[in-house]
Amino acid sequence: MSTTALSPFNVEFDPNSQEFSLSGVIRPRSVDEIAASISTLKGAIDQVRGVLYINVKRLVQMNNTAFHAFARVVLDACRERSDLRFVVVTSSVVGWTERMFGHLNKIEPQVTVEVYDSKFYPGQSFVENASFIPILRTQTKMTWRHERAILPRHGIRPGMVMADICCGIGDFAMLVRKEFQPARIVALDHSKASLAYARDVAAGFGITDIEYTYGDASEMLLEDNQFDFVTCRHSLQIFNQPDVLLKELYRICKPGGRVYMTNEKNSHCLGEPRSQSIQWTYEEVAKLFGHFEMDVELGPKSRRYLAEAGFDDIVVESFMVTNLDGDPQDFADIIAAWENVYAGEMAVKRGDPPEFIERFRQGFRDHIFAALHPKGYAGWPIWAASGRKPL
Amino acid sequence: MNGLENEAADGHFEPLLQVEMAMGTFLSDWHNCDQLSTFMARMISHNRTDPIRHSNFFSFALNELLEVSFRGGSLDGRIGCAVYRHGPMERVKLTFPCPPGQRQFYREAVSKTRRGNAYARYIDAISTDLAPSREAVLLDLAINFDARLRLEESDPPQITIVIDLPLEGIVS
Repeated sequence: MSTTALSPFNVEFDPNSQEFSLSGVIRPRSVDEIAASISTLKGAIDQVRGVLYINVKRLVQMNNTAFHAFARVVLDACRERSDLRFVVVTSSVVGWTERMFGHLNKIEPQVTVEVYDSKFYPGQSFVENASFIPILRTQTKMTWRHERAILPRHGIRPGMVMADICCGIGDFAMLVRKEFQPARIVALDHSKASLAYARDVAAGFGITDIEYTYGDASEMLLEDNQFDFVTCRHSLQIFNQPDVLLKELYRICKPGGRVYMTNEKNSHCLGEPRSQSIQWTYEEVAKLFGHFEMDVELGPKSRRYLAEAGFDDIVVESFMVTNLDGDPQDFADIIAAWENVYAGEMAVKRGDPPEFIERFRQGFRDHIFAALHPKGYAGWPIWAASGRKPL
Repeated sequence: MNGLENEAADGHFEPLLQVEMAMGTFLSDWHNCDQLSTFMARMISHNRTDPIRHSNFFSFALNELLEVSFRGGSLDGRIGCAVYRHGPMERVKLTFPCPPGQRQFYREAVSKTRRGNAYARYIDAISTDLAPSREAVLLDLAINFDARLRLEESDPPQITIVIDLPLEGIVS
């Protein structure tokens, strides 16, 4: 590892994965300043067989002095070792890395560039469909009735510097901005379609002070220790590595600041009448998400995740979104959308037989029945949790 | 740098931010390039479509320009950096003292960024140079950031590198 006081960067080589990683800000005045890192790269080249991955996903800045120095080593190695390939793994977030490293392929075809278009969770495509946007808005509308009162208990105050990570279509950031008047709010997501929608909505309301940004929540460009309050809602549960995401949330949070998150326990969705059918279907929902490496049972595990990530002063509470929160039809619309995505797309993709899918659908329909029944009750439980980054 | 608004009127570019300091102060610490470029990038990017990523791209380009002036700089005089905007384009005007012997170098280096063989020259620089020349750095900005560069020499011994960066289109 090499660092300077003002421009920290990391250089690592993992011989098991044959991966050489550059991250941070690398702006040396001369090659001498990064001699140790160059030496690490040369050593890596000597050790590997077949292919060396050069990971620059978390490279925030690199000047031409550093670029030429590392490129020089790679190009020389190509000329000396025809048996070796180099795969430069870049991020779609930091676009200049793709452009700069891409030129190396023109010089030596042994060097290729792969853009890490991270599909952090295999189900990402299921919820990025434009047809899902109205439902996401309805979901936020219904959860906001609760979270508006919950958020102050987790430390949100006017004038804070905030980040909403995995902001989706940006409606939560809009609501928080209006209700709690943060001094600054950055809203990050990895869906360009969702961000485009968020920006359109903001522009329509004449709002220009929400900084919507495209980014990888597990590899953010945002600097360390800069936010008083970081929110991440309904997202850890659909990442296949929630601990990695939480580590990033911890990193960008100021010491003394808090990270707030919401997650579900889907198998605890409930309704009356027809409770058994509803319960069976939602237990199957949890299994279905598990198949796609998502844990929609994460809600009650929030305390453990926060503790293991290093947070203290952890606060956990749960609330139930129900058909009695405003118009029952809103609740029914959400369930109908779930049925379409979970039974109509995910179960089909898993290869479930038609008879399973029909029974699976029935639970959603019964949930809707309960929601719209004049004496019925339908619920969707959510866990809100937050932790403080120690001073 | 004086007459900021007069300069900005040229081409409808609006002034955003201007920084000026003694060359001696600038040259006293290499990290001034990194810190200035990071600070200015954040300031001017806040109202771009994607402020974080725009700032990242802009910081890259500005840092390279500042490093060029740092490496070729002399202790006398002042360095000025002004940023303007017109639509999706940012214009950076970097003014610094340039000894007579280096003026021709800058003329040629900037001119080469606009020639048809710019890409071939850039590839050749990566392929053969042990360290990037200032010429290669300017080529990098033209090739990788779609920058348009020109030189203003109206106020000797100062020279001004003018660079137009269409980053909003690249980022968003």
